Amino acid sequence: MITNRRARAVTLATAAGLAASLALAGCGRDDATDAPAGAAPSEVAEGAAEGTITVWAMGAEGEQLDAIAEGFMAENPDATVEVTPVPWDAAHDKIATAIAAGDTPDVSLVGTTWMGEFALTGALDATPTDLIDETAFFDGPWSTTVVDDTSYGVPWYTETRVLYYRTDLAEQAGITEPPANWDELKALAEGVQQSGAEWGIYLQPGSTGAWQTFMPFAWQNGAELVEGEEFTLDTPEMVEALEFYNSFYAEGLAPAEADVAIEASFVDNKVGAFFSGPWHMSLIRDAGGEDGTWTVAPMPAQDSGTSFVGGGDLVVFKDAENRDGGWKFVEYLSRPEVQQEFYGLVSALPTTSEAWETGELAEDAMLATFGDQLEDAQSPPTIPTWEQVASVIDAEIEKVIKAGLPPADAASAIQAGAESIGTGN
Amino acid sequence: MASTLAPAPALAPAVVTDQRRTPGRPSLYVALSLGLVVMIAPFVWMVLGSFKSDAELRQTPPTLWPMSPTMANYAELFDRQNFPIYFGNSVLVAVVVTLGNVVFASTTGYALAKLKFGGTRLVFALVLATLMVPGMATFIPQFVLVSNLNLTNTYPGLILPFLVTPIGIFLMRQFISGLPDELIHAARVDGAGEFRIFFRIIMPLCGPALATLAILTFFASWNNFLWPLVAAQSEDKYTLPIALALFSIGQNRADYGLLLAGATIVALPVIAVFLVLQRYFTQGVATTGIK
Amino acid sequence: MTAAATTGTAEPATARSRAGNGPARRSGTSPARRRESRAAWILCSPFLALFAVFTAGPVLAAFGMSFTDIRSTDLRSPLAVGVVGIENYAQLLGDDRFWRAVTNTGIFVVIGIPLTMACALAAAVGLNSIPRLRGLFRVGYYLPVVTSIVAAAVVWRFLLQPDSGLLNTALGWIGVDGPRWLEDTTWALPSIIAMAVWRNLGFLMVVFLAGLQTIPNEVLEAGQVDGASRWQRFRYLTLPLLRPTLLFGAVITMIGYLQFFEEPFVMTQGGPLDSTLSISLYVYEQFGFGNYGFASAASYVLFVLIVGVTAIQFRLLREKG
Repeated sequence: MITNRRARAVTLATAAGLAASLALAGCGRDDATDAPAGAAPSEVAEGAAEGTITVWAMGAEGEQLDAIAEGFMAENPDATVEVTPVPWDAAHDKIATAIAAGDTPDVSLVGTTWMGEFALTGALDATPTDLIDETAFFDGPWSTTVVDDTSYGVPWYTETRVLYYRTDLAEQAGITEPPANWDELKALAEGVQQSGAEWGIYLQPGSTGAWQTFMPFAWQNGAELVEGEEFTLDTPEMVEALEFYNSFYAEGLAPAEADVAIEASFVDNKVGAFFSGPWHMSLIRDAGGEDGTWTVAPMPAQDSGTSFVGGGDLVVFKDAENRDGGWKFVEYLSRPEVQQEFYGLVSALPTTSEAWETGELAEDAMLATFGDQLEDAQSPPTIPTWEQVASVIDAEIEKVIKAGLPPADAASAIQAGAESIGTGN
Repeated sequence: MASTLAPAPALAPAVVTDQRRTPGRPSLYVALSLGLVVMIAPFVWMVLGSFKSDAELRQTPPTLWPMSPTMANYAELFDRQNFPIYFGNSVLVAVVVTLGNVVFASTTGYALAKLKFGGTRLVFALVLATLMVPGMATFIPQFVLVSNLNLTNTYPGLILPFLVTPIGIFLMRQFISGLPDELIHAARVDGAGEFRIFFRIIMPLCGPALATLAILTFFASWNNFLWPLVAAQSEDKYTLPIALALFSIGQNRADYGLLLAGATIVALPVIAVFLVLQRYFTQGVATTGIK
Repeated sequence: MTAAATTGTAEPATARSRAGNGPARRSGTSPARRRESRAAWILCSPFLALFAVFTAGPVLAAFGMSFTDIRSTDLRSPLAVGVVGIENYAQLLGDDRFWRAVTNTGIFVVIGIPLTMACALAAAVGLNSIPRLRGLFRVGYYLPVVTSIVAAAVVWRFLLQPDSGLLNTALGWIGVDGPRWLEDTTWALPSIIAMAVWRNLGFLMVVFLAGLQTIPNEVLEAGQVDGASRWQRFRYLTLPLLRPTLLFGAVITMIGYLQFFEEPFVMTQGGPLDSTLSISLYVYEQFGFGNYGFASAASYVLFVLIVGVTAIQFRLLREKG
């Protein structure tokens, strides 16, 4: 009986091994079937939309989509829009597994940094040029949809980063204008610190996402992240940007701990300035920040005043059951008046320039700052490996700040790391 | 793998209380109470925090008592028209998975602990192997499989992969192996069939283990987030943790008030189940008529 | 039926007590044995069926993935990937960050397991010894298990705050200058360990409580009559009888701790400077980057680690006799 059992176990193991190796034998990367580069967009049928259009959308943006979809359904009485809200927390995983199983909806909201990865799976449909006009959108947000020279979606809402600072503390230090360049930014930090803030400015000192605070400095200094298919991350411009970023810590102007709730520190005189997106305006007000004591200002400029742009894109899947309906819904959501309506519900910034020309977006001074900044905002390269490269950047920034790594060495390490990761193409 | 206890004769009905008259009892209470404070402090903060606004929760240092207590978080959560659906789905899935485990993990655990058969080693190895494979690795293949079986967005798809868990089998096996073999031998002598032995003799003795298994399984199933998230394609199959993440976590900011209220709502049923089951934890292992 | 049953009972005591590990097995199968065997297979069938359907395939598929360079961009055509053999594993073992994760996980386990088990056992024994308020303490000690990790993280972070946190303030009263806990590369991991012990104590305590119930009173009373002290009764009577439960507790906690993830994920994201990076966090990152083949390889290295450690534990805590 023992021998029987052992024999049986061995047979099972061999069978499993055989099965596995058979499966593997069928594998093999065929260069010809690699990423769908330069897929030509197909056209969308004319006329009203029909049938059911399934949409996945995340967060508050997703929740309000039902209200907006009413207008679309009024225009297209034969169409029904079904929105399934999905939590942001694991939306990336949900979409990835749906793609793996071929089980996707028609339309989905996708974070801008996920576009490269999903586009290269071949699961996304190229944006039809007969339906969507690229020039209606800001360049920065539009570029988040472009992978390998083809656009695979439409930017739905956007966010960009600007400088928040305490005007009252600045005035006490004799600063009455927002900083226009790097030197003035440094002076601002020093000034608010002298006026009583514990720290002049808050910059994220490493750990996940620090690159989003750092990258604008690199872009402002003229650094490019990629050139063609190559990474260019250890240029002198990059090193200078790293040195500038680190100088705030070296000179005692910025705290080296991550701050979880900046708005509270901002209001309590712990931090005099920081960089963030539009969501912080309401957070500061909720934390007790009084109007008149703070404001937002565009990025200070070196060679340029570039900021980081993020947000959400709308995509239609190749496996969609109602492709035409999907694109028509996307087109509807891109109309300036619909984008304004959406802004009213969710406070997510529109991606079409025309939506900024009227209404609250044109009149509110702080919002106008964001609108202006959108004219000069970049997104990281839409490559599928960007998240991993970004984590290398985060780690090296942390080493520069906390372990005294010289910026030049950090830049070389970032370049080496990025090269070994590759652009995933 | 069956073990025999040192004292061969059967167990007298165990007396649960007062088996040790310990002199330092007051000091024991003090020590336990100090530990208790450490244990429950975050929970207390969590519940109190659910009555605070998001703005107050972002303050540093954190406050304990709400400055101006508000029911707004709960109101907002319950206001969602689908809340009963999410709650109901969670209940359905958790109850079925718990019952499934209580039954099937016990049967398998008993077989592994007390019955001699050719597959003992193999099955136990499979149980342990399943227990030890990191879940992240198998997640995507499992989803593709379930999708190919057309089980996505169905209740079976939410329930079946968890109906018998290896940890449950392992727990029952260990517990049952500590029961004396004589009970089974005697029953066999009396002519009882295998299944009757299992149901009439073994299971009643497993009170503490079954209660432990039930609470563990219920907890794991109730809090399960990732699998229901990908397995459910439409809102009407969402379970509670998904719904709560939906409401409280944004792309760039979270509403901490809603988060804590949601966390409290999620915690309460588990505590309720624990309270109901806890008298079984210290149920004596009583047997009848063996002597 | 009765006759067959009687013939069946002649064997059991001897053959069974030799467990399944010796050549003392008889080669013939009596009807009673066959009945027993059939019953056993039937009892195991639900697990085996579900295993065959839902677990076997994915486990093998994931294993297969670890020998390819499959990435998230290949999801629609998973078979059209390059087979790279053990390259993923080689790359893994050459990655400094991975070794850092292994070291951190090792420290976490070596310190965390005994600590958690000792505390849980102490709590279980303590709770078993008090006549009143048992239920209250039981629920209370179990609460960390059901407290949302987010809430727990806020409170623990507040506790460990370098400047105004409770711990450093208390240390200040006795003249000790507390370290910067979560921001200090030396102290971040111990802080995470403390938090993990806090979180997992309740679950183990419940398991040990259940196990303590199987210990018959007469045994302990006999020991008391023989003049053994409480500690001696505990060490020589209770502990040995608790072996199966202890084994379960040790194995389950070890399997859980080797994969520790939530505490560093929520509290430190593996920092500062990778001092709290765990293997699971490393794997999670890689899956997040879409490096599915590489991440699967890392998962299976973790699996081998878990198997190895579990085997050692079984050897150490194996039931005797």
